[in-house]
Amino acid sequence: MATTRKLEDQDVYVYEGQIYIPNTYTAGALGTRVLTSLRDKKKIMGIRCPSCNRVYVPPRLTCKDCFSQLDELMEVSDKGTVLTYTVVSEGNTCQPVPSPVIYGIVQLDGADNGFVHMLGGVEAEQFRIGMRVQAVFKEERKGSILDIRYFKPLS
Amino acid sequence: MDGADAAEAVLVGETIVAESSKKQEKQPEYITVNIDAPRKYRWSTGKYIGRTYKEAKENKKLVANRCVKCKEVLWPPVQVCGRCKVEAGEDWVELSQTGTVMQYTYLVYPLWDPHYGEKFANPHPNAMILLDGGVYIRHFLEETDAEKLKVGMRVEAVWKEDDERGEGAADVKYFRTIRE
Repeated sequence: MATTRKLEDQDVYVYEGQIYIPNTYTAGALGTRVLTSLRDKKKIMGIRCPSCNRVYVPPRLTCKDCFSQLDELMEVSDKGTVLTYTVVSEGNTCQPVPSPVIYGIVQLDGADNGFVHMLGGVEAEQFRIGMRVQAVFKEERKGSILDIRYFKPLS
Repeated sequence: MDGADAAEAVLVGETIVAESSKKQEKQPEYITVNIDAPRKYRWSTGKYIGRTYKEAKENKKLVANRCVKCKEVLWPPVQVCGRCKVEAGEDWVELSQTGTVMQYTYLVYPLWDPHYGEKFANPHPNAMILLDGGVYIRHFLEETDAEKLKVGMRVEAVWKEDDERGEGAADVKYFRTIRE
């Protein structure tokens, strides 16, 4: 249950609680194909729009510009370029790994948009915008976007 | 996998994934995403609400402060009187722990506490109680028999055990009917 603790020498309490709303949803037909190829083949998939020739990572079923129905799944490279990043130092129970965590947007080779994931492998100070990075996969993969551990710099 | 099966997979989550991978020739696999992390928060009660937390935890008392100008009892205690817009001050009064039910709701729909995922008691009667001395407080009732709930019934506060208290007015477990 929620806990309260009293501050010393004052009639002030700190109320510490939580909101716990677990939820489950299906990844869908397209999402399942993308996550199983990530899990079984360590391949990151994109999808091509036939009319504007743009490649989306992660894949989506409808083009955001021309509203075409997309079904042309294709593999993209696991290497890419850092478009931007941020370093989170403050802890939060909702984040996938303990702090500090570096969230980054990476444009993978072959893709036309940025892919949001984590950066890691080296200290946060060593990351630069425009840096070349490569995906590091987990040994034990469960069919989740977190089967990619992070993107590490290409030396 | 047809529509009904897919809906079941969403409900049951990972168990269905494990089963469907056994008979992969017949059915395609569907992956589900689980989000299972509580969000933690904390807030300071401040000086005025902190006083009610202290009195409830240490002395089993409900306290409120009075406006220096209009002498209205302010519950829950606040720093500024909403009517006079003046600093309410430190004129603390103890509230009565007996009162009269002015309005009630008899809730039978099963509800979950969103904070810890626990079930609320069911049925769950909930009342606006006019405490002797003229302060309204919303709280739960012990009486779970709908036939016995009446507007105008007299109730008294029942406190939680010593180690369970520390949540202000929620330290009152419920209000119990006074049988005369």
